Amino acid sequence: MTNYRFIGKSTQRKDALDIVTGKAKFINDFTLPDMLYGKVLRSPLPHANIKSIDVTEAKSFPGVKAVLTYKDVPDWMAGSAPQHVRILDSKVRYVGEAVALVAAETEDIGAEALRLIKVEYESLPAVYDVEEATQPDAPQLYEKFPRNILPQGIRVFGLHPLQEVVIGDIEKGLEDADFVIEGTCSYENIPNPMPPESPAVIAAWEGPDTLNVWLGSQGPHIVKVALEKWMGSINIRSVGYSVGASYGSKYMSWQYTMPAAALAQATGRPVKLSYGKAEHLAAFTVRLGSRIHGKVGIKKDGTVTFLSGDWLVNTGAFSEASQAMVAVGCGEAQLILRCPNWSFKPKVVCTNRTASGQVRGFGGQELKCALLPILALGMEKAGIDPVDFFKRNYVKPGEGYYWRDGEWWVCEGIDYTKAIEKGAETFGWKEKWKGWLKPTSVKGAKRRGVGVGIHGNADAGEDVSEAFVRLETNGTAIIYCGLPEHGTGQRTNICKMVAEILQIPLDRVSVTPADSLVNPVEIGPVGSRGTYAIGSAVIAAAEDAKEQLFEKVARNLKVKPEDLETLDGMVYVKGKPEARISWGKGMNYSGTCLGRGRFESDFSKPNFMMIFTEVEVDTTTGKIDLIRVVGATDVGQIIDPLCLTNQLDGCLGSAGIDSALFEEAVLDTRLGRIMNLNMIDYKWRTFAELPEMEHVILETPFSTHRFHAIGVGEITPSPGPPAVLMAVSNAIGVWMHDYPLTPDKVLSSLGKIAATKRGERA
Amino acid sequence: MTRQEKKFSGVALEGKHRINLTVNGQLYELAIGRGAGKVNPSDTLSFTLRETLGLTGTKVSCDSGACGACTVLMDGRAVLSCMMLSIECDGKEVTTIEGLKDPKTGELDPLQQSFIDHTAFQCGFCTPGMIMSSKALLNDNPSPTEEEVKEALSGNFCRCITHYHVVDAVMDAAKKGVESK
Amino acid sequence: MKSFAHVNARSVDEAIQLLTKYNGRAKLNAGGTDLIGVLKDRILPGYPEAIINIKTIPGLGTLEKGEDSVSIGALTPLVNLIESPFIEKNYPLLQEAAKTVASPQVRNMATVGGNICQDTRCWYYRYPDQIGGIIECFRKGKKGCPAVAGDNRYHAIMGAAKCYAVCPSDIAVALIALGATLTIAGAEGSRTIPLEDFYTPLGNVLAPEEMIKAIRIRKPFPSTKQTFLKFTIRKPIDFAVVSVASNITIEQRICTRARIVLGAVAPTPVRAFAAEDFLKGKELCEEIAVEAAALALAGAKPLSKNAYKIEIAKTLVKEAILSKIK
Repeated sequence: MTNYRFIGKSTQRKDALDIVTGKAKFINDFTLPDMLYGKVLRSPLPHANIKSIDVTEAKSFPGVKAVLTYKDVPDWMAGSAPQHVRILDSKVRYVGEAVALVAAETEDIGAEALRLIKVEYESLPAVYDVEEATQPDAPQLYEKFPRNILPQGIRVFGLHPLQEVVIGDIEKGLEDADFVIEGTCSYENIPNPMPPESPAVIAAWEGPDTLNVWLGSQGPHIVKVALEKWMGSINIRSVGYSVGASYGSKYMSWQYTMPAAALAQATGRPVKLSYGKAEHLAAFTVRLGSRIHGKVGIKKDGTVTFLSGDWLVNTGAFSEASQAMVAVGCGEAQLILRCPNWSFKPKVVCTNRTASGQVRGFGGQELKCALLPILALGMEKAGIDPVDFFKRNYVKPGEGYYWRDGEWWVCEGIDYTKAIEKGAETFGWKEKWKGWLKPTSVKGAKRRGVGVGIHGNADAGEDVSEAFVRLETNGTAIIYCGLPEHGTGQRTNICKMVAEILQIPLDRVSVTPADSLVNPVEIGPVGSRGTYAIGSAVIAAAEDAKEQLFEKVARNLKVKPEDLETLDGMVYVKGKPEARISWGKGMNYSGTCLGRGRFESDFSKPNFMMIFTEVEVDTTTGKIDLIRVVGATDVGQIIDPLCLTNQLDGCLGSAGIDSALFEEAVLDTRLGRIMNLNMIDYKWRTFAELPEMEHVILETPFSTHRFHAIGVGEITPSPGPPAVLMAVSNAIGVWMHDYPLTPDKVLSSLGKIAATKRGERA
Repeated sequence: MTRQEKKFSGVALEGKHRINLTVNGQLYELAIGRGAGKVNPSDTLSFTLRETLGLTGTKVSCDSGACGACTVLMDGRAVLSCMMLSIECDGKEVTTIEGLKDPKTGELDPLQQSFIDHTAFQCGFCTPGMIMSSKALLNDNPSPTEEEVKEALSGNFCRCITHYHVVDAVMDAAKKGVESK
Repeated sequence: MKSFAHVNARSVDEAIQLLTKYNGRAKLNAGGTDLIGVLKDRILPGYPEAIINIKTIPGLGTLEKGEDSVSIGALTPLVNLIESPFIEKNYPLLQEAAKTVASPQVRNMATVGGNICQDTRCWYYRYPDQIGGIIECFRKGKKGCPAVAGDNRYHAIMGAAKCYAVCPSDIAVALIALGATLTIAGAEGSRTIPLEDFYTPLGNVLAPEEMIKAIRIRKPFPSTKQTFLKFTIRKPIDFAVVSVASNITIEQRICTRARIVLGAVAPTPVRAFAAEDFLKGKELCEEIAVEAAALALAGAKPLSKNAYKIEIAKTLVKEAILSKIK
């Protein structure tokens, strides 16, 4: 293995000092002169027409600068696809939807003004269940979506985006199967990724056609692209701050940016719109609801002969990008399941609760959580160990799959069998696995069980990244890249890559702010693409700059560029460091070398994550303790070990593993309201209850990355929830398919109390 | 008094007209009332620190006492600044994340250095609160067990899951602190 | 947060005078960990005109040890109960209860009196005004309890009639098991009542101009075992799904006195009288404990989603009875 100077070593994160001293600036730490505060009046009803709305009193309230209703906001249309979301509409479709906007001198004034707005509603029947919503007599959310079903496919993924997985012949699969299993599993607890920093933005217009937005988005460039699409021909400048985490949710960010823009336009002043936590939990995007009615054919040896089924996807009140998530989910299903015959058909459906949007796992987690338990029924019938099953069926180099663009891709990545085996060994799978629905151990009322889940994504090389690297005469380098820091340490990691290529100390490399006015195109650190896609663009830019430098120096020294080497800002002929010249001299002190790099989509390199879990169930109270988690992956090459383990530890959070245990948005379907709108009632993992956590990280070089690396950050939580479901089912000897596994459900599965269904009315 | 102030203060203010608040060793005399630099009776301590004194290192996340992002030290104890009225902090000494560096040398508190060394943060939003809770712990208990560290941080939210690195960082800082004595 | 007048009370008398003056339109603030949330979310139909700070009253934050009892000032922070060797030695169940409250920061701020007086955590009652307006209910002077036909997983399994919200206090459950009494100051002077008579289905017996001054606990009986158990979804932060406090005297292996109190199962803490009576004169064993637990929950009638609380409560009562003498 190559011995690198920075790559693979632990280095101090560039923003470390700012973070530990409280200097790191998040959007709410920042104000503009003359700035107003936006506030949102939110709907009390899940589905209603606004009959009348009177803002007279609110408008005349001292300190109020603007009050907007559906009658006076610009006709910007968002959502995909087609566009169907107005920032304010004459109809509301979920409790908490914006009804009116206020801009005021202070937040308190704005809050008071909201109380003076009088709204009369015509209440409409509401629907929450994904299947009820598709019935002919169901309440209709949008005229353009009959039976609340959204059109499939999304054009940003190409002309023939993936809409379903239909391959081979199901009849043939039925014939070949030794066992056929049918089942339904739902992952519909719509957990909230709940980053600590709630959505917030400052919007300010510069003249009528230029809008500046400052926000904690995971993808400032995408914010620009989305706003330009939704708002028409205006220039958008989008600036990313330190992101108080996102986990995908604050990626596109138009949901809160467009209202701020409307208020800024109406008042001619900068407007900050900052959600409180209750707004974040009630009226910001959550995970997709996912339900699969599936049928699977399996042979005694674990070969899958067919998979058929309906994937019912509940997107709530609108689709932020649900069809895109479904497309990726369909692709990811094929990565874990080598199978010749498919008929797997998704349906994206609107219902009257807060909308679903992008969250770490991007459709794939939602799919796996519902699909793996159904596959497990098949494995049980065939008597197959799930680790053996996954080892057999995970995509191998040379095998193909339809990806989100509708194209057939052949895997050119690596074989993850070794990672699976090493993970199983580290976990002690062989010793702990006692067969399906069998506990690992029983001690009085405490029963232990183990489970395993798998996930992978070929999006680690998705989309376009561009970067520039500018060499300075003083031996420093600047990276131009629209990459915000959202917790992964990626801004530092691209500096490490550039420092490695240019062989300069890490503190001589800096990155521009994630400002769309300054930087070239950058889709952002999503889908684990930071290392492979963004990294490759930055690497190419650094290589290009170095090449330009060497050409200049080579001309002066009358040698060939390839004979040159650089170290710490000096250039010399290889092996002759004594005759060296500085970058400054090499560039004649006047110019710079500006390297350019670009990365184009490559869906042939799926990444991989396996999660092993051990749980202990107290059969007298139904309480589940997560005892141990072992994650197994292969990253090609570690860039920064501590940043990597941070990302891998992240499997518990951001609506990941814990969405199997206690995370959920509790929806009262009689009122249409989410009841747990605070961080006491919305449950999250605390320091006091940390499971033992271990990571198996292999480094099998990836040929196509300069440092042979591939990213895994996005996928780490996704195999976890179904692994927990499996572990609990094994512990108590009964299948449990109802996320999250709260004590009442455990006791009910054990027959200790009568079954109650959460959605049911009393 | 502006028009909006009249609207708000239907009841005459009783009691003190000024509070003394010491933050990071500096005494602030803050008038009670509305407007720039003043403390309104309903202002929380987190609001006063961030918006009135410009000390934005203290973060607000849940704003309801459940997440610990706004943790500061008051008379040495970890408290939640989002659930305290500033007007009730008269005479108190507050330490925020900005006050942990040695005021003379500018040297980082060993905890801060240890958080850096262990990359004990991801997004960094909850880090100030975690460092303040850890500081309160080490003030009371310079060589805690791992369980005691977890207990002391049990009111601090981290959604990125940096818990494991944070526990390492606090344990390491404690170990070094004890060794250096 | 909407503003209010603010007064620092310098004495109990002054606080009472202020409460009298505002006649129900003022709230007392001690630790603030409950009240500030109520104000921020504006969950109540009315908003207080004034907040009266009682932390400025001297002398209410201390433990006073008497010959046969201890008096705990209402303003004693919970952390002081945890750190007091006296409490640890004499009233371990109170210390255990204090340890389970919320988080270290909250325990540094919250007071014993505040914990006893805190408002319910019913999520219908607490629904924040900013998301479509508060939810009206019987507790707020309107009709009906939305939890009955709604998501009632944390609601009452017994003793509720028109409001199914539960009393969230852990400290009260512990103190009732210890037979604590409250000293309440009011316009007419002070009165003393047993804490178990303090709660009413919609709150407590405090008149608008009254406040708790102190809590008195008598000396524990010898050879008594005290246990506090709390079931939560997570160890820290969470309010009890069910809590149980038991205070059982055992003489020559026979139970001679028993107090068993259940928390978070009803609008008020509940004494399990039937179980207490049953235990008296018996040697405690698994079988007896199971039977006592069944008796403790005999009157339980679950709502649609909280039958699991009965099972958990039974388990906790049983465990408490079988716990070892410390």
